[in-house]
Amino acid sequence: MREKFETEVVIIGGGMTGTGLLRDLALRGIKTILVEQFDLGHGTSTRNHGLLHSGGRYAVKDKEAAIECYRENIILKKTVPGSIEHTGGLFVKIPEDPDDYVNKWVNLCKETGIPVEEVSLEEAFRQEPYLNKRAEAVYRVPDASVDPFTMLTDVAADALNRGAGLLTYHTVSRIETKNAEVSYIVARDRYTGVEKEIHAPIIVNASGPWGAEIAKLAQIPLKVINNKGMLTVLNHRINKQVINRLRMPGDADIFVPAHDVTIFGTTGRNVEKPDDTSLEREEFEQMVEEGKALVPNLPDIRSIRAFSGSRPLFEEEGEKDLSGRNVTRGMALLDHEKREGLKGFITITGGKLTTFRYMAEKTADLICEKIGLHQGCLTHEIAVPPRQSKEFLKHPSLPALAKQKLCSWAGINSSQIHSNLEEDNRVVCECEQVTWAEIQVYLNQSNHFNLEDLRRRTRLGMGPCQGSYCYHRTAALAVEKEATSRKEAAEALTDGMDKRKKGMNVVADGATDRQLKMMEGVTAVSLGIKKGGKAHV
Amino acid sequence: MPEWSVIDNSFDKCLKCNACTVNCPVSGVSLDFGGPKHLGPEFKRLTDNQITVNEPSIELCTLCGTCDRSCPEGVHVSLLTAYGKAAHAENSGMNLRDLTLSRAELVGKLASAFAPVTNKVMKIKPARKLMEWTMHIPAERQFPEYRYNHFKKKYKKKVATTERKVAFFSGCYTTYNAPHVGEAFIKVMEYNGIEVALPEQKCCGVPMFANGQMKQGLKNAFSNTDSLLSYVKEGYDIVTTCSSCASSLKKDYPAFLKTEEAVKVSKNIYGSEEYLRKLYEEGELNMSLASLNEKAGYFSPCHMKGQGVGSPAMDVLELIPDFKIEDMDAGCCGQCGTFGFKKEKYPLSMRIGNEMRQTISESTKDYIVTECGMCKNQLNQLAVDKVKHPIEIIKKSYESV
Repeated sequence: MREKFETEVVIIGGGMTGTGLLRDLALRGIKTILVEQFDLGHGTSTRNHGLLHSGGRYAVKDKEAAIECYRENIILKKTVPGSIEHTGGLFVKIPEDPDDYVNKWVNLCKETGIPVEEVSLEEAFRQEPYLNKRAEAVYRVPDASVDPFTMLTDVAADALNRGAGLLTYHTVSRIETKNAEVSYIVARDRYTGVEKEIHAPIIVNASGPWGAEIAKLAQIPLKVINNKGMLTVLNHRINKQVINRLRMPGDADIFVPAHDVTIFGTTGRNVEKPDDTSLEREEFEQMVEEGKALVPNLPDIRSIRAFSGSRPLFEEEGEKDLSGRNVTRGMALLDHEKREGLKGFITITGGKLTTFRYMAEKTADLICEKIGLHQGCLTHEIAVPPRQSKEFLKHPSLPALAKQKLCSWAGINSSQIHSNLEEDNRVVCECEQVTWAEIQVYLNQSNHFNLEDLRRRTRLGMGPCQGSYCYHRTAALAVEKEATSRKEAAEALTDGMDKRKKGMNVVADGATDRQLKMMEGVTAVSLGIKKGGKAHV
Repeated sequence: MPEWSVIDNSFDKCLKCNACTVNCPVSGVSLDFGGPKHLGPEFKRLTDNQITVNEPSIELCTLCGTCDRSCPEGVHVSLLTAYGKAAHAENSGMNLRDLTLSRAELVGKLASAFAPVTNKVMKIKPARKLMEWTMHIPAERQFPEYRYNHFKKKYKKKVATTERKVAFFSGCYTTYNAPHVGEAFIKVMEYNGIEVALPEQKCCGVPMFANGQMKQGLKNAFSNTDSLLSYVKEGYDIVTTCSSCASSLKKDYPAFLKTEEAVKVSKNIYGSEEYLRKLYEEGELNMSLASLNEKAGYFSPCHMKGQGVGSPAMDVLELIPDFKIEDMDAGCCGQCGTFGFKKEKYPLSMRIGNEMRQTISESTKDYIVTECGMCKNQLNQLAVDKVKHPIEIIKKSYESV
């Protein structure tokens, strides 16, 4: 017998859009359950630059998108303050790029309302010593760095606090319809195999690259182009501000500072499968070659790992463009009642991380219209709780860097972390200064021990060692403290190490190659875990 | 000046293996010290282009450089900790004691000018208690004696005229505390037909770097580089009897200054025994060495090990007929320059020195040989009275012919 649930809205897909919608609906008082096949942000939402666009990038190519970006940039800085670092961004003109683009860009930014300020070359080189000294002009815009991991966590937590429901690691296997109207979905727990039936009059497909597959479950034809982009994580933060190339958007032309690293990318290649996150060495090398235009000694800078994710680009039937770059990045809100006559089924796709809130707002507006509720959007006004907790700076025994990390990270979990620290103040992940006290908070919130989930919430294993040491440490501590079973810890360890290695392999030359060998040495020799074998924790 | 992470991004290569931390003398005795990996490459990575973070435990780094030679990846760990110390000193201000200790040359000049009095006062208990209260210099800590007739007062030759010529970097310790070492070196060179000039020179900067006085240290480094480079251009070899000066001139100057001049000078620096070994290898060493029927133990200073030239003192002393020398392999002495003179670091200095104390005090050698004046200070306090510089023994062997 399946367990049955009743709700007003079901959202399929726990990316930034789905999660944003969950919170928007919760704020409007609409009962909602979100179903995600893996962890929050498994798809595109954690596989991007983490760039909060000012709109500058789209000013010439897509004015409407530029306006949306700038407006959302301002709103998000106010409403998810803990995830955004006000870095500012530079647009840099190099000799290879067309001269006439510059004035056109400056004028269109001004028309669009995006504040642009010219920066003297001397000042730009002083602030960004890695920048190409052949740069000819530099402009500053209000780009910012946004942490998609914390933003997802915080938006979801706030939604849950307001009564929303969330099922992660649940695959949607069926969408039942009755009399041209959605009826319920069947979601299967990936860990236990147990199925749940969730009944709702409205089902929102917010599954990004999986959009076509989900639509197919409801017999709706949908064309989504999955345009895969590769990004690489530089070992340390080489820039204070976002650095963009001042030209028509292309490959490998953005460097975004993200805490202690710089994320550099990206590319665009259309792929067949939504879960295609494959990484090609050749693509990486091309990217580095192209990136030298902005940062000439890029080939000498260590990359810790690479990753890729797909932009779900909506294509209306009849429009054909195979390159992917020229399909609109703007959002597509599809009312399948109007389009195909299936009542209660809505797809929201396309868009950008920067515009997730606006996409959620528009979707929620449509839902309200359908259920006849007059409740306006609140997400542009009501902020999620902040992340800052200065009191950690006074902690008597932690290393200064671990204090600093907690100070900008702990947020609503502060008091729990404080009491955890009294029991055990160990730093388990040295590269990212993650304390056991933080890990404990998330272990308590989850039913399963999964190192990759912990990574997304705490930065565990995100540094140069990529879990070589901290994944084992955390698994062993979790067993010792009876937070998980030996079996589950062993599975989490092999799974986690495999995922880390995948991203390292493709960039593995020099230091990262040796890091990988070291990691394999630790795993195979010190811990006796054979390749492809089971870990014994 | 560009941010130096652009010039030196060796920290990118850190594999987090912990070899530096495992070998660090301070990490070996204290968990209060974050360790070289954390305070070197990790700290740099976590603060580069980000907000400034002040970590007081960087004070416990002695800049011995053991981390540098432990690192399989060639990360310039002590360069990172030296800059970390400078940032911390700038952030939290300098106290009078650290400022005083960092100015070894100035202290040397003053203390030797009033030498008979200084040396006596340093042995009077109430005076030392007063110093402990006011300056936080532990009363139990022995101090090296200062010499009124210091080396620079007696030796003023600025030019050498022999075919092979040496410019001597005497260093503060030899100049003010052990002029006899400098004299022994001049004598040994004389036996080899080499004239020695004494160039204009300032403190090498080691005590300044160790106390976060980066600006002053760099100033001295630039000035010494200028002075020594003019000698290098004239065909002089630069030789020093101090292992810390040698380490600084060879390793720190090119790493900190990043100038061609510093690199050029660094390639012409020799420790006194390293230089004798070079003469021997080139068939130029005067081999009329008299037999010395003595049994000595060699204590290798961290700054000697860090130069990566082996143990030239052992190599050269073994040339003396009947002379028996054995490497004591006794770790770090724990004095660590100015570190061991500080009250709050004194217990650590003692703990680090424990292995040395046990090894040396149980040995049956006639005396201990070491190049470093600071190691000598700790050896004297913890283990043994008789400690000699290798050049003294070589001089004796030549003289006994």
